Amino acid sequence: MAAARSLSPEAIVEELRISRLRGRGGAAFPVWKKWQVAQRIRSEQKYVVANADEGDAGTYCDRMIMEGDPFRLIEGMLVCARAIGATRGYIYCRYEYPAAARAMRFAIQKAREADLLDSDDYSFDLEVVSGAGSYVCGEETALLESLEGRRGVVLAKPPYPAESGLYGKPTIVSNVLTFATIPNILANGGAWHASLGTEGSRGTMAVQLGGRVKQPGLIEIPFGLTLRDILDRFGGGMAAGSRFKAVQIGGPLGSLFPESQLDIPICYDAFAEAGAILGHGGIVVYDHETDMVELARHFMAFTADESCGKCTPCRIGSVRGREILERIQSGQGTAEDLFLLSDLGETMKATSLCALGGRAPYPVLTAIEHFPNEFRSKLSAFSSQQ
Amino acid sequence: MRIRNKTQLAETLETCRPALLDNPNILKALLAIQSARGYVPTNAIPQIAQVLGVTEAQVAGVLSYYSDLRTQPPGRHLIRVCMGESCMANYGARVFRAIQEYVRMTVGDPTQAKRFTVEQMSCAGNCALSPTVMIDADLYGRVTPSGVPSLLEPYR
Ligand SMILES: Cc1cc2nc3c(=O)[nH]c(=O)nc-3n(C[C@H](O)[C@H](O)[C@H](O)COP(=O)(O)O)c2cc1C
Ligand code: FES
Repeated sequence: MAAARSLSPEAIVEELRISRLRGRGGAAFPVWKKWQVAQRIRSEQKYVVANADEGDAGTYCDRMIMEGDPFRLIEGMLVCARAIGATRGYIYCRYEYPAAARAMRFAIQKAREADLLDSDDYSFDLEVVSGAGSYVCGEETALLESLEGRRGVVLAKPPYPAESGLYGKPTIVSNVLTFATIPNILANGGAWHASLGTEGSRGTMAVQLGGRVKQPGLIEIPFGLTLRDILDRFGGGMAAGSRFKAVQIGGPLGSLFPESQLDIPICYDAFAEAGAILGHGGIVVYDHETDMVELARHFMAFTADESCGKCTPCRIGSVRGREILERIQSGQGTAEDLFLLSDLGETMKATSLCALGGRAPYPVLTAIEHFPNEFRSKLSAFSSQQ
Repeated sequence: MRIRNKTQLAETLETCRPALLDNPNILKALLAIQSARGYVPTNAIPQIAQVLGVTEAQVAGVLSYYSDLRTQPPGRHLIRVCMGESCMANYGARVFRAIQEYVRMTVGDPTQAKRFTVEQMSCAGNCALSPTVMIDADLYGRVTPSGVPSLLEPYR
């Protein structure tokens, strides 16, 4: 913050451009571009919103930051407020994190008492707001709807929140980890941040290892390490009694990887090329006892439950997808059902309004691609003849 | 403290009344009522709508949208079993079944009436210690099916 105070708002954005920081919430959009849009719009009111919905199962680094180092988040938000000229901020915290919400409220109180939120040339008001158990409320437009107290329904973009967000005002919505990275960038310089990582992915990635590894936990790595490195060196291999089957990266919308694809480097480009996502950095390892058909059904059921209902491919497609998988599970499925599922998946990918419907088919289709026999062996006897 | 009667509901609602020119916040009001009372009774919808200056349909719409808003009073203790991927991978479904089993055994015993409500939840952010169970505000990790009885025992 001391560094930020000595810089003009334009110079702060310039430092971020040099750092080549990309958003850590999932979409990996360059942070400086968003800030610049909001900075250049004239408006009597602008907002800064921290996305602490951390909906991806298997991720917890936002929770760790809020419970362990809440001032880092506050500082990052203050820098943003200064850069774009915002006077109000909100931290939208998921309902499942009561302890994190408490820690944040306490830290804000302390910061206010120490006069850290206000300074001579501006004042900043910060509030923690609780969600109520909706995955899609992590999507930025749905999050803002929810922040205004309505149903968390996704809106079509543009306009982007940076132009017209909360109550129609310019709003920066960024992930907790994105904000928490900013104090370090300003303290050490954008060039320092850009010197870490790979060509398209600068800096470090907070990887959250979970599932059947020996040593689960949160690790910060420079981009570029391979998936295998992470599982072996940091995860310590498989948990006792477990054999590796598949690993999923990027939460419930992330693709599954079999043993043969573990040499992929952890960076945005390699993952985009593989049609996969890093998402919020959650890595979950499944062992030999995992039933892939049940897992695929679980993912489709999740999307069916969480769809906001606004667009048809996601709302109806996820329900049909779940029904097909249930049919296969009960032994009534046919080879045509597998074909139907992939056709449905392609439609959802191409036509959904947001990444919930657009990414939902990936874990299901990658499960079928890498473990086809588990699906085929469950098809009804009539169809497996052909 | 739970609200017992209508006046107390009105008091909670009063704290949510939007100031002049301010936008009403339906979700915030419903969360306030739930945290005071444990749930949001559907028969309070007209009153909520009136205080907030919105339609009943808008209130009902928000109430039904969010899975963590309850319209029925929960038991004395709320057990939430994580069904996130890390907990699934660590056989969380078996823990869920063991808990259901334990709770079913207590059903029919009048001293145990309304003791537990069992729900599934999405990720509690405790994934490095999967599988996770949350009882009221307490978070438990590495829960095993055989450990379920001793886990639930203290929650009377
Ligand atoms: C279905 C869905 C769920 C999302 N959930 C989250 C979330 O829980 N946390 C988050 O930071 N971003 C989430 N996002 C991404 C946000 O829309 C948005 O891109 C992000 O908050 C921007 O912050 P960033 O620039 O720091 O990444 C989600 C997106 C979608 C489509
Ligand atoms: S998946 Fe269960 S705590 Fe995260």
